[in-house]
Amino acid sequence: MNLLVPGALAFAALAGPLIVLYMLRSKRRTVQVSSTMLWDRLGAPVAAAVPWQRLRLTPLLIIQLLVLSALVLSLARPFFTQQALLGPHTVFVIDSSGSMSDAGRFAAAIDRAEDLAGQASTANLISVVQAGPEAQVLAAFSRSPDVVRSALSGIVPGGAVADLSGAVRLARGLATPDRPTNLLIFSDGGSGPLAEEPVIGATHLPFDATSADVSIDGIDAESSDEGLIRVLVTATNHTTASRTDRFEIAVGELPAGTFELEMRSGGQVSKTVPVEASAGDVISVTRLGDSDTNPMNDSAWLIVGQGPLRTAELVGEPSPFVEALVRSLPGWEESDEGEVLIVDGGELPEIDRPALLFATDTVPEGIEFVELVGNVPVTYQRPGEPLLDQVDLSDVAVAEAQVVDAPGWLPIVRAGDSPLILLGSVNGHRVVYFTFDVTHSNLPVQVGFPILGARILEWLGGGSGASVSTGVSGDPIVLAAPVGTHPEVTRPTGEVVTLEESAALYKETTVPGIYRVRYVGNGLEQTGPTAVRNFVPAEAGVLPRTIEVASPPDLETEETALVREWAPWVIGLAIVLLLLEWWVGHQRPGLRRTKVATA
Amino acid sequence: MLLTPELRARIEQVSLVSKRRIRASYAGRHSSKRKGESLDFADFRPYVPGDDYRRIDQALYARLGQLVVREFEAEDELTLRVVLDVSASMNLHGKHLAARRLAALIAYLGLAAGDRVELFAVPGSTRPLEAGPTGHHLTAWPRLETWLETVAVGGGIPLAPILRTLVGSSKVRGATVIVSDLLDVEWERALDGLALGAGGIVLQVLAPVELDPDLIGDLRLVDVETGSETMISTSEDTRRHYREVLEAFVEGVAGRSRKAGLDYLLVPAVEDAAERALAALASEGAVR
Repeated sequence: MNLLVPGALAFAALAGPLIVLYMLRSKRRTVQVSSTMLWDRLGAPVAAAVPWQRLRLTPLLIIQLLVLSALVLSLARPFFTQQALLGPHTVFVIDSSGSMSDAGRFAAAIDRAEDLAGQASTANLISVVQAGPEAQVLAAFSRSPDVVRSALSGIVPGGAVADLSGAVRLARGLATPDRPTNLLIFSDGGSGPLAEEPVIGATHLPFDATSADVSIDGIDAESSDEGLIRVLVTATNHTTASRTDRFEIAVGELPAGTFELEMRSGGQVSKTVPVEASAGDVISVTRLGDSDTNPMNDSAWLIVGQGPLRTAELVGEPSPFVEALVRSLPGWEESDEGEVLIVDGGELPEIDRPALLFATDTVPEGIEFVELVGNVPVTYQRPGEPLLDQVDLSDVAVAEAQVVDAPGWLPIVRAGDSPLILLGSVNGHRVVYFTFDVTHSNLPVQVGFPILGARILEWLGGGSGASVSTGVSGDPIVLAAPVGTHPEVTRPTGEVVTLEESAALYKETTVPGIYRVRYVGNGLEQTGPTAVRNFVPAEAGVLPRTIEVASPPDLETEETALVREWAPWVIGLAIVLLLLEWWVGHQRPGLRRTKVATA
Repeated sequence: MLLTPELRARIEQVSLVSKRRIRASYAGRHSSKRKGESLDFADFRPYVPGDDYRRIDQALYARLGQLVVREFEAEDELTLRVVLDVSASMNLHGKHLAARRLAALIAYLGLAAGDRVELFAVPGSTRPLEAGPTGHHLTAWPRLETWLETVAVGGGIPLAPILRTLVGSSKVRGATVIVSDLLDVEWERALDGLALGAGGIVLQVLAPVELDPDLIGDLRLVDVETGSETMISTSEDTRRHYREVLEAFVEGVAGRSRKAGLDYLLVPAVEDAAERALAALASEGAVR
């Protein structure tokens, strides 16, 4: 046992005076009695002339010596060292993947993280990184346990694959130069080794509870000759015994039947079920019976078809690149009187619908042509612009572009001071204006060109029709709110999330279920896309694994050692002994005594 | 009020039983050594002139030819002396009040039975023995109760000579009831003195703390009557030893009492001492 104040043991010398007090005869108290006759017959010890008496080890003396020992020990502050999980700066990496939803792993991880946050002192900085489909920082360099707990409570377990590697990299990015940073990874280990393993300077807190789970791994549909939809359902038994489960299939809110699947342990079984459904209907399959340890994968959804095709009309002198763009985009087709007007050069027609304009001879209203300029590179992409999300135009060079003055338009790509792509509005319709002909640039050969084209068309066509999508947890939902409206997303939990007007994607789709979008505002209320997100099959039945970690070579052990004092326990023991001493000193009240016969 | 109305009502339904034949001046309800007019046959004796000829046993005269008269037991009035110990030791732990209630119980028993009840306090305020009021009917109860309620505690004086004098000098051999803690070195002689009378009862009153003392630590015990001191160091062993000595003392008093022809009862000095004593006397057959 180590002592913080070993000098306090000198107080043990007080045992000497205590023992001396017991050897001294106490001054006798005078008590009047009816008669000393009976007492005289006792032959009881009478007072001797000397003030000393032989030391007798009474229970009271023993208890008082124990009390003194406990008090002296508490003053000496005994302690033991413990490997500290919390360092000067600790980053909590919380795995919120689908496999963490199994067997209460996620809840246990959050409880442990909150417990650790509660143990933090003001000397401990804590950051929280969520390892979801995208890693994100939820709290940074916080000294407040409440802030950390708030961040932890904001993490919602889902059915998606977690980017643990990205989360570890993000956590490392939070490392502070002035104080050591250690990572605490709250995870079941994920479905495979991390690229960073062994993770330097990290501690893996495993959450490896396992239990019985049956998952619906897939749901697919195809049309049959009879005009029915054949729904293919695949389920896996992750338990250790064969079992038979009943499933219900429903179209929209209406049950369409039930069926049974007999599954051996670890086996995967598929079954085709015909149902009457039409394009756009939501088909759901739900396992019946007792819920298992992971209810998130007990249901799956499918939207029949992809909804009606959307149309774009190409006018002017369409380049092959623009034509190819429209034809290649899923859900879009070229059509006269299309929802979106695409004008590639030539005269500018009347803008009576959303329009994508490529360097027309006549610039649209609000834009003033100044001159032509040649050989300009892209120097600016508007930061945070949803249309440019994950689109890199830094290598784009333009052979010839219009120099325009457009005070009411929003330039999202520029070459120096000259706008290359502008967003604006003409006659109440959204318009995207390219100041250059794509054939006079290397934009069509850029990887981001079809993405940019798809984004622009989705944005322009927003509100013109319902779009649907079936995907897995974590897949974003593409939004295209009409001008003056903002998207409202109704999540599977019933919660309604209101987004900004400019939001182009909704990414919080880790919870499996149906997401419905509406565009609301400016007196309008239009139905947006409906999307279903299913539990990622790879996250079901994931067996826990240990993430390999390693200590950083320069980390001093003293910084991670935690001193734990025994004092509270020793003081508690002293209090108990004091109570015992009082009880013994007061002739053990409450204890039955032998009564003398009275007759 | 020393006796509650309920207790008095219960007492009026019972009476003391004298174990010895008594000799009294007045007729009463207790068996006497004299021959009297009761229906209980006692003996035969030769006829002498002057005898009531109605007592001549005609059957014996016809058989034996001798005049023999039948004698019957007389029923005399019992003299009941109630001796209340008011020494200083009785002033501790509520014993005085309990003793007065017990004395009142006995006195009321006697009055209710038509006995002659005499009250005494030992020691008295001015002399060793103070005689209290006397009565032989319940009409005297208020006087006796008032005296019992007001009798004060005196000093310390040996009981034995006083009791011997009281019982031995009386012309009438009545029953004597002593109410005392008997914590007196000469308690044996005191009980022997009571043996001179026509029986009686020893009511030994001890406080609960005397039966099971709760003394702690090193103590100087001072005898409240004699002033003598005893040093003790209490422990669980000491208290257990005390209880053994006390038990032997109580057994000794009980045995000595029985030897002297007296009933014995140990009564704790508690609130319902009189009720307990009445119940115990009834179970012992001392009252019925």
